[in-house]
Amino acid sequence: MRIGIPRGLLYYEYFPLWKCFFEELSAEVIVSGPTTKRILDRGVQTAVDEACLPVKVFYGHAAELGDCVDFLFVPRVVSVEPRAYTCPKFLGLPDMLRASMVLPRLLSPTVNMRRNRRQLLAAVRQVAAELGAGPVKTWRAWRRAVAAYRRFKEFLRQGYGFEDAVSLALGQNRHLARQAPPARDLTVAVLGHPYLVYDQLVGMNLIQRLRSEGVRVLTADSFTPAEIEAKVRNLPKALFWTYEKQVLGAALACLDRNVDGIIQYVSFGCGPDSMIGELIQRWVRRKRDIPFTLLTVDEHTGQAGILTRVEAFLDMVARKKARSA
Amino acid sequence: MVREGGFPPGTGAMLGRTALIPSSLSHYVKRPERRSKPGSVHKDDKEKNSRDNEPGDAAMRKLYLGVDVGSVSTNLVLMDGSGTVVADVYLLTRGRPIQAIQEGIRLLAAQGWDDAQVAGAGTTGSGRLLAGVIVGADVIKNEITAHAVAALEMVPDVRTVLEIGGQDSKIIIIRDGVVVDFAMNTVCAAGTGSFLDRQAARLNIPIEEFGALALKSNSPVRIAGRCAVFAESDMIHKQQVGYPVEDIVRGLCEALVRNYLNNVAKGKEILPPVVFQGGVACNVGMKRAFEEALGVEVMVPPYATVMGAIGAAILAKEATGATGRTRFRGFQVASVRYDTESFECEHCPNGCEIVCIKMEGQLLARWGSRCGRWDTVPEEQPVRREASG
Ligand code: SF4
Ligand code: SF4
Repeated sequence: MRIGIPRGLLYYEYFPLWKCFFEELSAEVIVSGPTTKRILDRGVQTAVDEACLPVKVFYGHAAELGDCVDFLFVPRVVSVEPRAYTCPKFLGLPDMLRASMVLPRLLSPTVNMRRNRRQLLAAVRQVAAELGAGPVKTWRAWRRAVAAYRRFKEFLRQGYGFEDAVSLALGQNRHLARQAPPARDLTVAVLGHPYLVYDQLVGMNLIQRLRSEGVRVLTADSFTPAEIEAKVRNLPKALFWTYEKQVLGAALACLDRNVDGIIQYVSFGCGPDSMIGELIQRWVRRKRDIPFTLLTVDEHTGQAGILTRVEAFLDMVARKKARSA
Repeated sequence: MVREGGFPPGTGAMLGRTALIPSSLSHYVKRPERRSKPGSVHKDDKEKNSRDNEPGDAAMRKLYLGVDVGSVSTNLVLMDGSGTVVADVYLLTRGRPIQAIQEGIRLLAAQGWDDAQVAGAGTTGSGRLLAGVIVGADVIKNEITAHAVAALEMVPDVRTVLEIGGQDSKIIIIRDGVVVDFAMNTVCAAGTGSFLDRQAARLNIPIEEFGALALKSNSPVRIAGRCAVFAESDMIHKQQVGYPVEDIVRGLCEALVRNYLNNVAKGKEILPPVVFQGGVACNVGMKRAFEEALGVEVMVPPYATVMGAIGAAILAKEATGATGRTRFRGFQVASVRYDTESFECEHCPNGCEIVCIKMEGQLLARWGSRCGRWDTVPEEQPVRREASG
């Protein structure tokens, strides 16, 4: 049995969990290749115009997998924690996909933990049942998957790149060399949805580029959930969007980590992000004057313009630091 | 509108320039504490300990070349070690950056500068990679940093830089001598110089006279519209209703300032001293419109239109300071044959458009790949020589 996973959206958040789980249930996992211009173009053609860039990319990946798989895994992730939602776009994702292209059978459990964390287990059982797995096998697979997911998050926290963290977590690459320590004493946080900053095409290799400039790069994954939770708990307003909360919490956590600059990377047309950008500026600036820049991308954004901004931002951060030293 | 500034070093080049860019001299606000001669770029203190800056032995001066290649204009300057601009060239790029760069170098060479004097070269602007390869640059920098460095050189206590060029505009916020924030606009025409160029052409007014005309107006017409297209139709309407042309012209300057402040400068704290530079800065109508909107004095430095190139020259000086070596290929690059070729890479579905630059048929550089596959080029010629002055 072949289960296709489009390389987009929550793939960048949960892939090791999904892969480990399905393989424990004896299914074969097929992932679409890294985003290319062709995949993006395909997504842009099929998706509705007002969709944000990551959703368009996701459509492209779903189309790419097409019918070479038995199932396409597109969970309907409504909420992953009590009292908070994910992006509204995730809610209708399976239906919108089905409406716009011919797809293999969809495997799309609903995950809604807003009221009750245990709902997740119901979703897990539902998926396993669809694949014909019994309760014991399911339970064992799930435990292993959760362990892989925790390892993955831990490797990300230690500063491994996304691909490396995935293969380390899945035990595919035990001898990976540790990242060389950065050449410069400069730390920049790149904050944004993982499906933007980790994607090789729409993320413009920003993280690798900064690293090759000798910069130490932090992402929202560099902080523990507890660190982030502690930061957002003190905000006067509760945030109802889980992933935005992570970005904002990470920005605030940067204050404790000697971060020299913050780059927020967002998609044009993303409602949640446009609000969070303002909040970051307001809340971070109030505490300490960390240089901040917002990079907005869509499918027409040229790489040159973004890289010019990043270069200017690095210059600014480095000169500012040299001055205050 | 090609102009060149071929003035013997140290003779107060600004005097010669007044005829060429009428507005930039009369509207450079001289600050009381700076009493340097016009045209020399202050830094009197540093001049004293700079051994190669004795007035008189101009031929022995070390010079730094700065090249700024934008989509609208290509600017070059030669600056000496003390920060004095000794020559500048402003050309239209006209979609042919290589020709513009070579023409600029040719105009500089025609003034009799010697290769051996050039101790460093820097490039900036959207064509900075190309320019860097052609002239042999020691430093290739983005335009934000270049503009900020130049503004700081001219007005050391500057806190806000407004820059409006033909095709883009920026704001740079500086505090205590370092850039702390910036923003760029490259998409919306209503915030750039091309907006004025277009309307000037429509009104049949040479763009050079635009600013002076705006100053004659006592009651500007309010031109509506955040977008160049709406503004244009509103302007046509106002024109047909019979408003005097100077009032319309002033209204256009105010509309551009409004658009700039609402888009590019949105949310930025504009504190004086404010420096206004870029191609549009020599338009006196724009300077006044900014002053009225901001309620503070707005300074237009000499050489306001070539500040990017000045910044590149300053950065070149910084970059070569430690080694004393330069990669500058010499003024002969003006007469060498450069070609560009491009092809679509077929190694993966990204299909990147790869651009190759060749000098006399020899491959110099390639770019355009997303993966870096084509970036390295078989070893380039070694550093040309030692620039010992
Ligand atoms: S959070 Fe923003 S970028 Fe992500 S799916 Fe929703 S709208 Fe798109
Ligand atoms: S240059 Fe690299 S990314 Fe671009 S098409 Fe070729 S192999 Fe693919």
